Parts: sequence; C-alpha cells; structure tokens
Amino acid sequence: MDRRTFLKIMGSGVAGAATGNLLTPGRTPASEVPLGKEFYGILVDTTRCIGCRRCELGCAEVNGMPIPDIAESKTEDILKTLRKTSDTQYTVINRYETEKGPVYVPRRCMHCSQPGCVAACLVKAMKKRPTGQVTWDLNCIGCRLCMVSCPFDIPKFEYKKAIPRIQKCNLCWDRFNKGALPGCVEVCPTQALMFGTRKQILEEGKRRIATNPDKYVDHIYGEYEVGGTSHLYLSAVPFEQIGFRKDLGTVPYPEYSTGFLYAVPFIFVLWPIVMLGMNRATKKHEEEKHEEKHEEHGKH
Amino acid sequence: MNRKLLYFLVSIAYLILISYGLYSVYTVEATLRVKEPPKIKLENKIAIAHTEIFGKLERPQVIFNHGKHEEAYKKEGCAECHPEKDGQVMFAFPKNLKKKDKTAVMNAYHDACIDCHKKSAKKEKTGPVNCGDCHKKQEKTLVVKYPKAEFDFYVHDKHVKKLKEKIGKDDCGLCHHSYDPYEEDETLRLVYEPGTEESCYYCHELGKKRGPELTKITKAAADKGLSIKEASHQQCLNCHLKYREDYLKKGEKDACPTECIKCHTGEYRTLVQLEKVPRPDRDQPKRPLINIKDAKLKGVPFDHDYHQIASKTCRSCHHETLKACKDCHDLTGKPEGNYVNVARAYHDVFSEHSCEGCHNVKKAEKDCNGCHHYIAVVEADSLGPKDKSCGICHSGEIKGAFSRAPLSVAGLDPQKVPNKVKVEVLSKEYEPSEFPHMDIIKKLVDISNKSKLANYFHKDMQTMCEGCHHRSPAEAEVKKDTPPNCRNCHTITPEPRNLDKTTLLSAYHRQCMGCHDKMGIEKGSSVRFKDGDRCGACHKKKVAGPAEITRLKNDNVVKQNTKNILNVWRPK
Repeated sequence: MDRRTFLKIMGSGVAGAATGNLLTPGRTPASEVPLGKEFYGILVDTTRCIGCRRCELGCAEVNGMPIPDIAESKTEDILKTLRKTSDTQYTVINRYETEKGPVYVPRRCMHCSQPGCVAACLVKAMKKRPTGQVTWDLNCIGCRLCMVSCPFDIPKFEYKKAIPRIQKCNLCWDRFNKGALPGCVEVCPTQALMFGTRKQILEEGKRRIATNPDKYVDHIYGEYEVGGTSHLYLSAVPFEQIGFRKDLGTVPYPEYSTGFLYAVPFIFVLWPIVMLGMNRATKKHEEEKHEEKHEEHGKH
Repeated sequence: MNRKLLYFLVSIAYLILISYGLYSVYTVEATLRVKEPPKIKLENKIAIAHTEIFGKLERPQVIFNHGKHEEAYKKEGCAECHPEKDGQVMFAFPKNLKKKDKTAVMNAYHDACIDCHKKSAKKEKTGPVNCGDCHKKQEKTLVVKYPKAEFDFYVHDKHVKKLKEKIGKDDCGLCHHSYDPYEEDETLRLVYEPGTEESCYYCHELGKKRGPELTKITKAAADKGLSIKEASHQQCLNCHLKYREDYLKKGEKDACPTECIKCHTGEYRTLVQLEKVPRPDRDQPKRPLINIKDAKLKGVPFDHDYHQIASKTCRSCHHETLKACKDCHDLTGKPEGNYVNVARAYHDVFSEHSCEGCHNVKKAEKDCNGCHHYIAVVEADSLGPKDKSCGICHSGEIKGAFSRAPLSVAGLDPQKVPNKVKVEVLSKEYEPSEFPHMDIIKKLVDISNKSKLANYFHKDMQTMCEGCHHRSPAEAEVKKDTPPNCRNCHTITPEPRNLDKTTLLSAYHRQCMGCHDKMGIEKGSSVRFKDGDRCGACHKKKVAGPAEITRLKNDNVVKQNTKNILNVWRPK
C-alpha cells in the first residue's frame, strides 16, 4: 500500500465518522430541562374530587366542543360505565368502587415529560412545548401512530370527519398564552385540580402526603411513571384500584426506540461510505496493476 | 420448490411472532385480582397437610372428617386415637409418633388410619384403605380454616358461675395458673396463686412477647409445644370431657361442647352485648389517680371501670401482662417495657394500647369523623399541644373529674350565633344556599353529649365551634364580638403566593361535603346519588342562569386576576 491509498482510506473513514456524529446529536433528557423552562402541570387530588363533571363542561366550553349535560340525573347513569376520552371530550370523570367507597377520577392527557406520541409523530404535528404542554398542530396526516404509542390511551381520532385529525387535551395551550388557567382547573369547585409548575405541584403533593399519612397512599402517580408526567395524581387507595396501570415502568417511551433509531443513519449513511471507500481503495490497486502491465507492454 | 417452502416457513414464523406480540399487549390486566381459594362448609372437618414437615406435597391433602370419627368412638373415648398423659388427653395425632421427619410422620399416619380401618372393616362399614380415597384430587386446593374462638367476658362469667355451682366455691385455679421460671424444682414451677390470674394469651401466644422475664416464660411454653391453640384445646376439652356426662344426664345437650364448630362459631359478641356482663374482679383499681413519681405534669384521674366496659378484653390495653402501665414503663424506660418511656406509653399516636392511640381510633368513627378528619394527627403534633389540651387529662384531682355536665345550646347569643346563614357571595348559576347554622350546632352537641369520651374532651361550646371554624383563635373572636367568617381567610380568587390556600368556593364545598361524606349523611354528600339532585340539596339551579362559566365575558376583573397569577408563577 502506498501513501496515496492510505490517505484515501483514512479520509473516507474520518468523513464517515463525521457524518455519523452529525446525524446522532446529543440527547437531552427531560430531567435536564434548562432553567427557566420549567414544565407546567396539574396536580389531581382524587380524595377531593366530588364527581360533579364540571371540568368536562369547562373543557367543552373553552375548546368549542359539544356541551355535555351535567345534570345530576344524567350523571348517575353516565358514571355507571367507565368512559374513555374521545375526540369531542378531552377530559372525563370516572367512578371506581374501591375499598374506601366510590372514588372519582378525572382523566385527561398526562402530558408526559418525554412523550411517546411526540416521538412517534411523522410530521411533527405533536409537539412538547418548552412549558410542558403536549400540543397538536393542524398538519396532522391522520396516521394514528400517536394513538399506538400512548401508554394512557389518550389521543383520539376523528373517525366521523371528512378530513380526520387527532384530538386530545393540550392543557389549554391557547388560554395559557393569553394568561388564563386551563378550563377544567378554573371551574373545579373543590380545588381538586391545582395548576402550577411541575416542581411546585410535586412539592405540594408530597406535603399533603406527609401531613396526612393515613389519608393518602405514599405515591404520586406520574412522578416517575414513564419518565415523569406533568399530570400528577394523589389517591387514598392503591392506584390499580382506580384504573391506573402499574406496569408502565419508569423509562420514558421514546427511550425504548431512540437507541435503535439513532443507529439507523449510521447504517444507511456511514456504512455505504465505508464500503465505497474500501471499494475505491481496492480498485486503485487494480488500476496500478493495469498501468504496470501497460508499461510492460510499452517496453516491448 | 425448496425456496417456496422456506418462504412459507419464514412467513409462518413471523405470523406467530406478531400474534404473540398482540396477545401480550392485549392481555395486560388493568387491575390485579387475587383469586380466593374455594372454601367448604366446616362441619367439624380438618385439613391434614403438615406442610411444615413435608414442604411441597406429593399427594393432595387429606380432608379428615373429625365429627364422623367422634361419633364412631363415642364409647371408647378420645384416648382410642389420642395419646394420654397424667390422666389428660393430649390432642395430638397419631398416638405413637416418635420422630418428626417426613417418613416417620407419613408412616405413623398411615399405620394409625389404615390399620384401624382394616381392623374394623371385619365388623362393620368403615373408612377407605386406598390412597386416592383419602388423598382426593378434587380436595387439593380446599381451605379449611376455623374462625378464632373468642372466650369473652360473657363466656368467662358463665364458666365462673357454673363451676361454682359444681364445686361449691370459687376456684380460679381450675383453669388459671402461673409459671415461675426462677423456681429450681421443675415440678413446682407451674402453680396457682390467687390474685395473679391472667389471660392465656400472655404466656401461650408464642413469639410475640418482649422483656426478659416474659421471654423466659414463653420459651418454656414453646419448648413444651404449648401454643395458644394447643394449650386451650388441652385445657378446655379435657374439662369439657370430664363434665359432659353429668350435663348429658340432666338433658343439657349443648353444655360442654367438644365439636369444632360449637366453639369456633365465627360469631362474636359486640361491646353493646357485653356491656351488662360483669368483668372479672381481681382487685383492680376502680377510679385511680394515675400519678407518676417525679413527673412534671399533674396526675390523671382515670375511670378504669368505664374503660373496662368500653373494651372487649383486658389485653386491648394491658398488652403483655396484667400489670399497671407504670410497672414496666417509667420516666426513662426500662428493659421490661422494651425501653418505652411512660410518656410514650400513654401518648403514642399510632399504638393500639396507648390512651391517645385508642382515642384516635374512636375519633375516626362515623359520628366523630366529620370534624376530626380535618384535624390531621401529624399536624396537631407538630403545632405543639396547647396548654389547655394537656390540662384536660392532667388535672391532678379526682374531684368532679368523672361527671361532666352535658353541653347545651341554651346560652348562645342569637346575635352572635345566627339561626340561619345565607351563603350568597358566590351565587352565579345557583340560588344562594341557606345554611341551617343552629340546627347543625344542635345536632353536633347532641352527638357529643351521647358519647362519654366526647363529653369529657369537648370542654365547652367553643370547642364545638372549632369543628368548622378551624384555626381561628376562638378567644379572640369572642372578645372582638364578631362572628368568624369563612371569607376572612378564604379568598374568592386563588392566592398566588400560596397555591394550596383554599378558595372560598372550594372551602365551602370541601368543608360541607367532606363532613357529610364522613358522617354518612346522604343529603349533600359527594358519594351518594340516591336523592337524584346532589347540587339541589344545598342550592337550587337558577332557571335562566348563565350556561357559560369559563368564558367570563363581562368579568374583566377575574380575568385580570388570573393573568396576574400566571405572571407570578412564570419564572423570570
């Protein structure tokens, strides 16, 4: 191997490595949120919720959705079945019969610190805002990957519309920017919902547990689940009794795929370059041989 | 051809993988349920498994019908199967079991059961001799568990009276004995001394006692294999066998039972049923003044008589021996009391045996919990007890301590304490709510007067007010001559500096509905729907009220306030 070949091989190697680095940028986990960009969220105290469904009404009003009938007579029938959020209802209240009597649980998007839906979105319609809200944009193409990726079964598809999109709670992103509280928080008559930065509501939740050890179970749902969520829950009964999954683990959902996904550019970009480099290197050798032969022919 | 086969196999493999993945995704259970093992009617049956010796069983357990065998051996008596010692039947089985290892126990059982079955098969119809007839597969998972038998004060009293009839004098030594671990002559260790009678549990409940002397005694009991189960079966049944014949002659069939389900009924007498039953007399003090030497606080007058009636066993307070608390717990703590000092022994919030612990349990009852669930135990502790609350117990004199006059609403000034309060500041969608202030006071006073505990600790009417008007210095309110108002502390809009501070709307709802919930009042509680209209229980909906509650069209002030709040929350 002569000097020229050696340089070529080295050059292609360095170029490949550089491209690989460009395509695999450093990851910023949610725990290292830069100062001043604290996530906002809601602390839900299920011991305070009285199941009046006023948050459903508030949510429907601020988001321009069909107004639910929250009359008492209807409510009793509705609460008999466990409901899920839908494309026209971003928040629902369910009643669970537990060892400590009936417990009402308001459910809506958990606004994960590292959301699976955002990672799954092909067109970046789903976004995690710097202030914590997981919002969706109008450029949704309706692929429904976010529905598959959500561990809480929250994003819902507008099956009945001509141009369907994904719909879900966006923690009242528009109202937040105008300086108003989320619709559900504003109307809650018992302050079962508390809005604040994630740090504030987490501290408040821990304070409530510490001062009432007999009232709450010693766990804040959403503190560590799927890497932390902006929606935190307090409960008097074990969380599996009020419809929360305990099998989700503490690893953020995108983390399961990022390792693999970051390896993809390496295989598609770096590997051809390496092979090409090798190919060029060996081909040159043949050309030289050819030249040598030619020279030999010339001598004759 | 081969290639096609290969494609086919690969696609099948993928299909299996996909279906397995889907299966595992969709079968994740949202709630975890523990399957309860099936139960059978007890009917004097016993499950023989001895998993402590065998570990995992090779064949299914044997469900043994003890009742049938008792019936069959009526003439011969228990000694036919059970060993005898000093004229007493020991309720162990089989008779000649020498070693307690797997083969020995198995052989002993098989010998005892099968031999007997074979022997009597010649004379009459008898039990099985084949493996599967006793070790039945369908009975593998059955659970035979008898509920605890409770020897309560009613049964105790009955035994005392009957035995007195029989023998002609009081002799507690028939059942009670004490054990002196320091006596050198072993035969003299088990003696009866009048005046030292205690519950069987104190010595025969193994592995729970502390302190040097008690550990020695329970160890001796453990060495003899006399757990509470063994000891009470031996003691009770032998005596029952002895006197059963006499009663049978008289025609009293139910006296002196020996069948399992006669004692293990699973039904227990309540405190109300036991109220009239006299408690055993052992020269306990009736109404002592508990005074600890060198203690800083004054002595506590204690109604021992009443507390006897208010509890089902002596053990609920005297947890390890029937001595006075201060015998084991002194000011600094000593080994007999597991180094728990006397202050802790009386005031431990979470103990079942301390004064405060037991009173806390009472406070969680339905009638009391309406007010008391707001008063967090931990918070009350960290705020530091008020002088006046210590003084309720630590009065230092017996005089007048045991008869408190009931509270009365007669002395209340109708100017200061209104009959009805109209809650209307927040009224928007709903009509103002009319709050029956005086009716509630009357009801609470009534509840308080009925309970001796409440009557003692709710010293005056102000204490009753503090149930709702919490954290307000009652004395100051009275002096100023202005009734405490919810709005004094609870603002209408959220307080930006203290996010947990309750707004007025939520203060009303949480205070009222929380209390209704805890006291089990159906009207206006959060959990019950029976009445249909929960909101209407307190305030009627306006006929043409505004439907839009969040848009706040004309409410610029509120909007401005919310904006300010968010600006405070936002980090700079």
